[in-house]
Amino acid sequence: MTVNPPSLVSRRRGGGFAAVCAVLAVLPWVADLSAYAHNQLTLLYITIAGVLAWNWMGGFVGQVSFGHAAMFGIGGFVAGQMMVHVHLPAPLCWLAGAGVAGVFALGAHPMLRLRGPYFSIATIGLGEASRLVFTYWEKFTGGASGLSLPIDADVRFRLYWWALAIAALVAAASYVIRHSSLGLKLLAIKADVEAAADVGISATFYQDLVFVLSGAVVGLTGGLNASFFNFIEPNDMFGFERSITMVLVAVIGGLGTSLGPVLGAVVFVLVHNYLLSSYPQLHLGLYGVLLILIILFEPLGLTGLAQRGVRAVERARARKRAAP
Amino acid sequence: MARLLDMIVSAVLLAGLYATMAYGLGLIYGVLRVVNLAHGGVIMAGAYLGWCLHEGFGLDPYLSIPLVMAATFLLGVVMYQGLVRRLPRGAAGGPASLLLLFGVWLVLRNIAYLLFTGNDQVIRTAFASRAVPLLGTHVALNRLVVLGIALVIAVLLHVLLRRTMIGRAIRAVAQNADSCTLVGIDVNRVYTLTFGIGAALAGVAGVLLATIFSFNPGSGSSELLKSFVVVVLGGLGSVYGVGLAALIVATVEVFAILVLPSYLTTAVGFMLLVLVLVLRPGGLFGHRVLS
Repeated sequence: MTVNPPSLVSRRRGGGFAAVCAVLAVLPWVADLSAYAHNQLTLLYITIAGVLAWNWMGGFVGQVSFGHAAMFGIGGFVAGQMMVHVHLPAPLCWLAGAGVAGVFALGAHPMLRLRGPYFSIATIGLGEASRLVFTYWEKFTGGASGLSLPIDADVRFRLYWWALAIAALVAAASYVIRHSSLGLKLLAIKADVEAAADVGISATFYQDLVFVLSGAVVGLTGGLNASFFNFIEPNDMFGFERSITMVLVAVIGGLGTSLGPVLGAVVFVLVHNYLLSSYPQLHLGLYGVLLILIILFEPLGLTGLAQRGVRAVERARARKRAAP
Repeated sequence: MARLLDMIVSAVLLAGLYATMAYGLGLIYGVLRVVNLAHGGVIMAGAYLGWCLHEGFGLDPYLSIPLVMAATFLLGVVMYQGLVRRLPRGAAGGPASLLLLFGVWLVLRNIAYLLFTGNDQVIRTAFASRAVPLLGTHVALNRLVVLGIALVIAVLLHVLLRRTMIGRAIRAVAQNADSCTLVGIDVNRVYTLTFGIGAALAGVAGVLLATIFSFNPGSGSSELLKSFVVVVLGGLGSVYGVGLAALIVATVEVFAILVLPSYLTTAVGFMLLVLVLVLRPGGLFGHRVLS
C-alpha cells in the first residue's frame, strides 16, 4: 500500500494564485493601462522577484545580507554587455547574467561560514568592494558614465510579461521552498546550526545552495532592470541603496514569510511613488524609521499585522458564538 | 629603506585611529553580544559634532573631544534605553538588533544630509599642515596628535575596565549577566553605560578621523568594516589585542598600496575581514572577553 504525501499546495491556494497571475497578465489589454501604470507594474514585478529571492537567504536561512546589490549589478552588466556586443535575444542575455551572478555568489563561499552579524557585516564589505571594483573597471561597466543598451521597443513592451512570469515563478518557488522539506531544513539551520548538523543537515551545503539560487535570481532581476532603463551605471546598480531596498521591502512584508515580500513590495512601490517623490531628501530616514518601528512592534511586518487581524476576527466570532 | 621606514611610521600613526574606532564596537559586542551596526553612523556623527564646534565656535577639535564624547555618550544611552532594550528577550543578538541599529544608522545619515548636505568636509586646524621630524622622516603633526590621543584613550579605557567598580561590573556582566543579578549588579544600568561608553568612543574616533581624512554623511561603512576587522582580529574585547590588531590592519592597508590601486583600500579591509574570519574566527589570541 502506498501513501500519497499530502500535496504541497492546496487546490484553492494554487487556483487563487493562478487566477491572480492570469488577471495581471491580461490587465494591459483589458484595462487599457497608461504607459505609466504599465511601467510601474513592470518595476513592481522586478522588485518582487528580487526581494523574494533575497528573502530565501535573509528570511528562510536567517542570514541577513546587506550586499545583494553585488549580484544585482553583475547580472545587469553581464546582460547589458551581451546585448551590446553579442546581440543575442534579451532573455538569453538575462539568463547569462543570472548565471554569472550565481557563479559569483558561489565564489562567496568562504563568507558563508560566517553566521549572524559576522555574515551581515561581511556582506556590507562584499557590496562596497564590488561597487568600487566595478566602478573602476571601466571596460566592463563604462565607469561613472555608465553603459547604454541598444533600445528595443519590442523587448521593452514585452518586459511586463517577462517580469510578471519571473515574479510568479519566484513566488511559487518561495512558497514551495517554504513548505517543503528543504524549507524545514533551512528553518532548522536558522534556529540552530549545530543541532541541524546533528540531524544531518549540512549548513554549508544548504547555505551555498540558497545563496547561489538567491544570487542568480537577483542577478536575473538586474538584467531585467537593465532592459527596463536601457541605461545602467555601476554606482546605481551596485549601490548600497539597492541592497538596503531588498532588506527593507522584505522586513516590511514579513521577514522569512513565504509571500510577505510580495505585500512589502506593493506597499514599498506605492510609498515610494506617492510619499517619497514629494520628500526625496527624507527617504533614507523614512527607511530607517520604518525598520525601527517594524522590528520593535511587529517583527513579521505586514504579514504579522494581517495574522493579528485574522486572529482578532476569529476571536470576535468565537465570542459572538459563546454569547447567548 | 627610508621608504620602508616611512610606511611603518604611517602604519603606526594610522593604527591609533583604527584602535580607537574599534574599542566602541568591541566593548558593546563583548558585553551585550550586540553588533552595533550604527557604529559607523556614530563615528560620522562625532566627526560632524567636532566640525560644528570648530566652525561655529572656533574650538580646537582636540579640545572639543570631551564635549563630543558627552554628546555621543548620551546618544548611546538613548539608543540603548529607547531601542535596543525594547527588543524581545533573546532577539537582541539576532538579526532583529542588526536591522534595528541599521535603521538608526540610516536615520543618522539622513539627519546629517539634511543638516550638512552631502559635501565632503574636513576639519582644518592651524597646525594641520605642520610636519615634525621623526625617526629620520617627517610626519604630519595632526597624525602624531591623533596617535597620542588614541594612546591616552586606550590607557583610560584600560584603567576604567580594570581599576574601577564600574569597570569590574562591566566585565562581570560580560562574563555572566545572570550571576550579576544575583550579587546585586543592576545589569540594565551596566548595559546602558556600556552602550554609552561604546558610542562615546565612536564619537572620539569620529573627531580624530575628521582631522585627518575628509568625511560626508555617507561615511561610516568602511569605518564600520575596519572596526569590525580589528575587533575580530583582536579577539573581541581585549584592549591590548585590539591595539595590536589595529596595527596589523593599518600595516596591511599601508603596504597594500604598493601592490594595489588606491581605490581598492576598502576592498583590502573586506578581504582581510573574510580571511581573518575564515582562518582565525576566534581572533589572533583566542576568545578572551575584556581581559
